[in-house]
Amino acid sequence: MNHSHTKRSGLRGVWEATKNYPVILIVIGLVVIFSTLYTKLFLSPVNLTATLRQFVTLMLFSIGPSIVMLLGSMDLSFIGIWMLGSVLLWILTPVIGPPALLVFPLLGLATGFIAGVVHTKGRIPSFILTLSILITYWGLTVVLSGGYPRPVKGYGFITASVLPRVPTPFLWSIPIILAAIIVVLRTRLGIYFWAIGSNEEGTRLAGIDVDRYKTIAFMLSGTFTGIGSIILFEHLGGSAPVEFNMNNVVRPLVAIILGGTPLVGGTGGPHRTILGVFTFSILYRGLYLSSLRPEVIDLVVGLVLILSVVINSRGARMKGVDVT
Amino acid sequence: MSEPCASPTPARARKQLKATTIMPFVTVVVVVGIFQILNPSFLSYHGIVTIVYAMSYFLIAACGLTLVIMMGSFDFSVVAVMKLSALLCVLFIGKLGLLVIPLALAVSAAIGFINGVLFTKLKVPSFIATLGISVVLDGISLLSSKGFLHLLEDERFRSISVTFIAGLPSIFYWALGVWLLCTVVSVATPFGRRVFAIGGNPRAAALSSINVDRHRIIVFVLSSLLAGLAGVLYVSQQGGWSMEIGGQMMIPLFASVVAGGTSLRGGTGGPQRTLLGVIIITWIQSGLLMMGLGREIQFVILGVIAILMAVATTERGKLTRLMVK
Amino acid sequence: MVDKTGAPILRVKNVSKTFGGVVCALDDVSLEVYPNEIVGVVGENGAGKTTLMKILVGIHAPDRGEWEHNGVVVPFPRNPQEAARKGISIVYQEKGVIPSLKVYQFLFLGNEEKHERRWGLQIGKMKQHAREILEEFHVQCDIEDFMYDLPLSTQKMVEISKAVLRIRLEQNRDTTDSVIILDEPTAPLTIEERRGMLGEILRMKSNTSFVYVTHIMQEVMEYMDEVVVLRDGKRVGYFDMSAQKATEDDLSRAIVGREILAQPHEKGPHMDEGGEVVLSAQDLTTRGCYYDISFDLHRGECIGLFGPAGSGKSEIIKTIAGLRSNDSGKLLLQGREAKQNEPAHKRLSRGVGYFSGDTANELLHDWPITKNISILNISKVVGKFLRFLRFKAEKALAARIVEQLRITTPDVNTLISSLSGGSKQKVTVGKWFEKNPAILLLEDPTIGIDVGSREDIYQAVLSMKRKGMSMILVSDDLKEYSTLCDGVLLMRQGRVTERISVEQISEVLKS
Repeated sequence: MNHSHTKRSGLRGVWEATKNYPVILIVIGLVVIFSTLYTKLFLSPVNLTATLRQFVTLMLFSIGPSIVMLLGSMDLSFIGIWMLGSVLLWILTPVIGPPALLVFPLLGLATGFIAGVVHTKGRIPSFILTLSILITYWGLTVVLSGGYPRPVKGYGFITASVLPRVPTPFLWSIPIILAAIIVVLRTRLGIYFWAIGSNEEGTRLAGIDVDRYKTIAFMLSGTFTGIGSIILFEHLGGSAPVEFNMNNVVRPLVAIILGGTPLVGGTGGPHRTILGVFTFSILYRGLYLSSLRPEVIDLVVGLVLILSVVINSRGARMKGVDVT
Repeated sequence: MSEPCASPTPARARKQLKATTIMPFVTVVVVVGIFQILNPSFLSYHGIVTIVYAMSYFLIAACGLTLVIMMGSFDFSVVAVMKLSALLCVLFIGKLGLLVIPLALAVSAAIGFINGVLFTKLKVPSFIATLGISVVLDGISLLSSKGFLHLLEDERFRSISVTFIAGLPSIFYWALGVWLLCTVVSVATPFGRRVFAIGGNPRAAALSSINVDRHRIIVFVLSSLLAGLAGVLYVSQQGGWSMEIGGQMMIPLFASVVAGGTSLRGGTGGPQRTLLGVIIITWIQSGLLMMGLGREIQFVILGVIAILMAVATTERGKLTRLMVK
Repeated sequence: MVDKTGAPILRVKNVSKTFGGVVCALDDVSLEVYPNEIVGVVGENGAGKTTLMKILVGIHAPDRGEWEHNGVVVPFPRNPQEAARKGISIVYQEKGVIPSLKVYQFLFLGNEEKHERRWGLQIGKMKQHAREILEEFHVQCDIEDFMYDLPLSTQKMVEISKAVLRIRLEQNRDTTDSVIILDEPTAPLTIEERRGMLGEILRMKSNTSFVYVTHIMQEVMEYMDEVVVLRDGKRVGYFDMSAQKATEDDLSRAIVGREILAQPHEKGPHMDEGGEVVLSAQDLTTRGCYYDISFDLHRGECIGLFGPAGSGKSEIIKTIAGLRSNDSGKLLLQGREAKQNEPAHKRLSRGVGYFSGDTANELLHDWPITKNISILNISKVVGKFLRFLRFKAEKALAARIVEQLRITTPDVNTLISSLSGGSKQKVTVGKWFEKNPAILLLEDPTIGIDVGSREDIYQAVLSMKRKGMSMILVSDDLKEYSTLCDGVLLMRQGRVTERISVEQISEVLKS
């Protein structure tokens, strides 16, 4: 049986692309719906800016975990890195000035390293492990900050306006997103992560040090989250946060799965997550413009999470996982 | 493969078993000892009652969670169910009187049923399904309560938890009863044995004439039911409801199940071990509170303890069937 | 004819390996591979084939042995990469394929360096190279295809290509003297796919040599140039297939080590005689696995389904057990039709029990013997009034079974994980002994178990049969059929070719 696909162009190509990225249809659908319902508000420049800001926040948080999810694991520590990094920034800025920003990527890298090592050597499920790290970091944040949000001055340049209507953090985020995509699509790392997620045993048999690459994935996740947090810090108010909301953890997961990176890994990545984040941002803005209460929106988010997992698991069943 | 030698002695297996069994006991003694030294009123009558109030509803919810973990799954909706169940009591006590209790329990059980179906029939991994459900439930709670604080002053309702018998509040006896029931069911009934079997090796369980799907659904229903019960008793104990209930209770809950010795892989442990874990965790929390340390540092410590306990109770050596992902 | 004029491209001598100081996997085994040949390695399960292969590719280190390369003694490879540098690569029986990768990504998995620069992969070059490889080996697929989209035979061909490619990349040469080890490559394939693959392998012989591990006699007879037989860790036979006219009987005798004779045994009702029909299969069919399977099983009778690997026997027994579904056909259990695709526990409630020699899926390893036996026999250990578990009854039951089956264990509370393979299997047999279903399906019940345990298990099974239990047996061990079965259905390529009585089994080998 010959499986050669000689031509993938034209309408056939578009159909194939849509099958691989069903999210595209959802995006188009949402845009159409909201444009019709709230034409003035939805298509206004103000909304566009707000959507972009939403996009930046969600995307920068989602990059890290979307890399780890390729392995079939979970990394929930991203919020923690942002919080703890912020308060460390508050502590260090008066002491060493702007280079204190390095605390973010360094913290992220260290966190990823610890998570990776404990996960691979200690055999702790990544979900529980990174959740514990998250909670621990949150606790430390509150302790170090004394319980109050601590503003840090001097980093306004991150959000200073460059292009009209386009939030500068969005511009900053572009190279970060591109870097993540390059790592996954253009280096051996992406292939190895997919392979581990798809068939860990087989990857080992191919002579690849699975533990090492898993740890690398966690380290990348932490580092990207750290770098993203440099921007997020100022983007989200410029002060060390104290409030912890589980929603902030759930939303990136929703975006990642919506974008087409399955929970069990093996395929997908930041390039897909962009779509998921985009969809989510549009969905969120659209709901926000309607007079629905914020609680309802969160409710919908929960439902979307479940739905997207169900839909995605109906898709390519590439391995038989005994669901826990 | 010919194996000419006699079977290897199980000495090493026995040694490890001892460690996992004894350690929780040792920890309890150490923890209590430390706090008593730091704060002499720790073990006073007042101190003990405070701890009982903190521990009882927690233990009930933890028993339910233990059943799910024994089976090898996760249930992240326990706290949200508890919150919703408590809210139902508060909102409808006026119209329904004590009938709110069966209402709350029925709703809780229904949620558990949904969790079970999502997991068995729709193949949604349990932690995602229950996580999603918990977000949905929290949204419902927030909507229905409009975020307000609600007081509950119905005397009869409050007497469920707060009637003092033999020096201790009635909620203590509720918790004790639930714990005993769960322990007996887990350890001494066919049902409990089957739940352990599913956790230990789902395929072997299926081949041993166990209806795996049905048992899974039942366990999720039980877990939510007990969470609902915990909610009812909690609001009866506190006399009020707010969105803050449960707070970040999920981590201490997990920590106590794991600290007690029920492995996250499933197949071992049980409610009897969870009692120890609950004692450890709640006493640590209460002790820290008495020392004036905030909630947050508790979580720092609990986060570390959870990891340590998970590492300690993880089986070393041979291959594990559950993919540790 | 194998060209033995030059030096062999692979020669290992006197390889021995013991695991844990106890289990002797290999004892003084030697192997030679010459250019452009296929060397078959055959033997029962547990004979040491896999261990030898793993040593050759550097996964295990031998305790003793020599590796000669062009007459010079060189160290054994310490990992698969070193093995590839020495020109050896392996295609595993299962778990070798990464489903979610594209073909070109899979081909270079673990060997990307050739097409890699500091900043990343040179994907264009990689794809081009991949295309060339696929063309060279006539693999029918596109480099952009996902592995999971390919039929199994194509996947295997890609795996084989990857193995050759790995050697070339590690050695940095384009044509090499390479040896590719194939571990039962055709086992998961359908009948039709097998021929295609073997044809392709023959074609590849001009570039590469193969070490071909298999159970399938037909393949050995038709495609191998030389055959090495392993039994109990030792090399017990060698056949030059082109020179001698070795028969299947010769091979089987070497593999099993004894004459295949019908053993005197308890005879159940002869097939087709009267007696209650407890199970009736009617035209069971699953495309690609088995077709139109029909037979009747009488009470107290044991039928064997025998055939080479891939004849469909394993799929049939799993279907009856409720572990697989069939496409069409009917199954009557004790007169009543069984629903298609019923899960295993439902089938059990209809009186059909199943066990296999695969203890990982049969037993709960962290549980003691007592609990493993009682989980299947709960009704025997619960109280009369309140349905509580009675621990004393549980212990007594386990003790009884331990005695009956002569299980070597210090205590009934010993964890399964501490028992030897034979003892574990006895526990499985024991719990079914107690359960006593009307029909018991056995698949590879004594695989990898020592002779003594095997006999004990046969005794137990025969006594169950005497009490009226009906059985279906699927196994690779001919002696097992003659010991346990009353009649045998021969299968080939998914169909029943013949029904024979047990005495005729030895005749089968000659056909």
